[in-house]
Amino acid sequence: MLPVAGSDERLLADAVAAYARDLAPRIPAAEEAGAIPREVIADLGRLGVLGMTIPEPDGGLGASSVAFALVLEEIAAVWPSLAVGVSVNSGIAEGTIVRLGTPEQKKRWLPRLIDGSGLASFALTEPGSGSDAAALRTTARRDGPTWVLNGRKMFVTNLRYAPVAIVLARVGEMDAHRPHAGITAFLVPTDAPGVVIGRAESKMGLLASDTSPLTLEDARVGADAVLGPQGTAFGAVAMAGLDGGRIGIAAQAVGIARGAIDRAAAYARERRQFGRPIGDFQLVRNALARAQTDISAARLLTLRAAWLKDRGRPFTTEASKAKLFASEMAQRATHVAVQTLGGYGYMREAAVERMARDARATTIYEGTSEIQRLVIARGMLSL
Amino acid sequence: MKILVCAKQTPDSTVRVKVAPDGRSVDAAQITWAVSPYDEYAVEMALERKDADASTTVAVVSLGAARAKDSLRQALAMGCDEAILVSGPGAEALEGLGVAKALAAVAQEAKPDVVLCGRQASDDDQGLVGAALAEALGWPHVATVTKFAPADGGPAGSVNGIDVWKEVEGGHEVWRAPGPVVLTVQKSEKEPRYPSLPGIMKAKKKEIPEKDVASLGIGASLPKPEIVKMEPPAARGGGKIMKDGDAKRTAQELARLLREEAKVL
Repeated sequence: MLPVAGSDERLLADAVAAYARDLAPRIPAAEEAGAIPREVIADLGRLGVLGMTIPEPDGGLGASSVAFALVLEEIAAVWPSLAVGVSVNSGIAEGTIVRLGTPEQKKRWLPRLIDGSGLASFALTEPGSGSDAAALRTTARRDGPTWVLNGRKMFVTNLRYAPVAIVLARVGEMDAHRPHAGITAFLVPTDAPGVVIGRAESKMGLLASDTSPLTLEDARVGADAVLGPQGTAFGAVAMAGLDGGRIGIAAQAVGIARGAIDRAAAYARERRQFGRPIGDFQLVRNALARAQTDISAARLLTLRAAWLKDRGRPFTTEASKAKLFASEMAQRATHVAVQTLGGYGYMREAAVERMARDARATTIYEGTSEIQRLVIARGMLSL
Repeated sequence: MKILVCAKQTPDSTVRVKVAPDGRSVDAAQITWAVSPYDEYAVEMALERKDADASTTVAVVSLGAARAKDSLRQALAMGCDEAILVSGPGAEALEGLGVAKALAAVAQEAKPDVVLCGRQASDDDQGLVGAALAEALGWPHVATVTKFAPADGGPAGSVNGIDVWKEVEGGHEVWRAPGPVVLTVQKSEKEPRYPSLPGIMKAKKKEIPEKDVASLGIGASLPKPEIVKMEPPAARGGGKIMKDGDAKRTAQELARLLREEAKVL
């Protein structure tokens, strides 16, 4: 039992864990194919996972961020590629629509992001703007009753499955002194004219997770596509959305590490060398014990950030700490897991090599480790 | 249509069961409990009917220890409408015919059109309760069922017989039973569904009424055969893995071993 998670939250996580465990045999083929099967997304809709954090009046379950973090950990312990898709859909996209959407926008989009017919995208990064997100160049201009968007977004998660993408674009000229001014969020239907989904990226890990570029060529959306107050999206959408998203990535990292170390521990019990299980050797025990302690610490940081979010308290720096620690911890833990399995761990047949590759992304996306340190230090120094 | 499912709580099939120190029971400390797999198919089969006709109601009953409530809650989370626990002193020790009589008392009160039981429980594999329940109720019984549906005809909302698909060697038979009927389930059409998260939260809030087994008037129980000894299966000898990459050579070697060592060819 964890100090910040109640029995209901554990109950929900256990139910998802039971489903996720049974997915295991399907993962190698899906990773090979580079796609999450549609019926798995449909299952998550049917199980109520995709809408779990949406308030009940909006058609969800109204579960806590703590419950969601536990659920993401369970999914990631089995299939990290699926966890990041769910995190982006439910943590960032749905969360932003719930927070800032008009009743009409909620009614139009939330049901489609809950029911398992697709997973939503969040399009912030561009070829020239990553960590420096405010330097984005995608533009939006008003044309009578519509908005016309132009620009190019990179590394968009879920794009192939997305009925809608939250796109950040600049309205008006860029002011070099206030680069974040004018940035506005749009709910862009992926079937709108001028929306082009590019070829999926070929990645190091998270192979089944879709990562694609989005090109907007005079893409036209209605006046009702603006999400939140015009010109405020850098803080209200990008930064706030990522704060929540970082809890999701932290939970994903905890899950990956746990999944890998559980496999390593099972192997250390069974594998015999020099006449005894390798788990008898102190060097193996030392590595496993450190990894296990790391995982527990990362989980507590993650759930603490989620717990603060649930109570409406500031959680920006706590989310950054959790994301920083958990993602870097996952590098060490998956390294230990591969090392413990030795030659077998390096082979595709053992899931730990996949988890080591999957873990690598967690120190990069939704804010690199370096950016998390900036956020944490800013909170300390107020400079 | 009103369906009553009888579900027994047994050790989860993924648990490695150990014999207790007394040598005649299972070590309960190590066990996680679950709905017996054939009973879970029965729950799924009932819910498939409910999917096809939303006016269907599904009740689930379990007889046994108080912990069986967890399994009932699982069935509620899957989508059953109500659950009943038959418990109290003596419930766990009841022999098969006594269980059937107790369930018959519950069925007589609930008045279902169909009672579903798994074909056998995964702990004792006796396969007695379903047939005995039909006998106790004086209802017809069809075994190893894979599907059922209300027969055509009759006014809407009434049940005019039940069509029952049953597995036989090499195919299926379709039987028509007058309602009400007891069916013992071989397998549902789909694998048992995962409980949904909203289903779990709803199930948590539901009241599960408890009936004392002593209040059901099942009379004196029969002499019960007793387990005098439990033995784990003999440990398997190590297997042989043939790693030679050449398929033809491997096949020849395999054929030789099957003939000369295993003596099965």
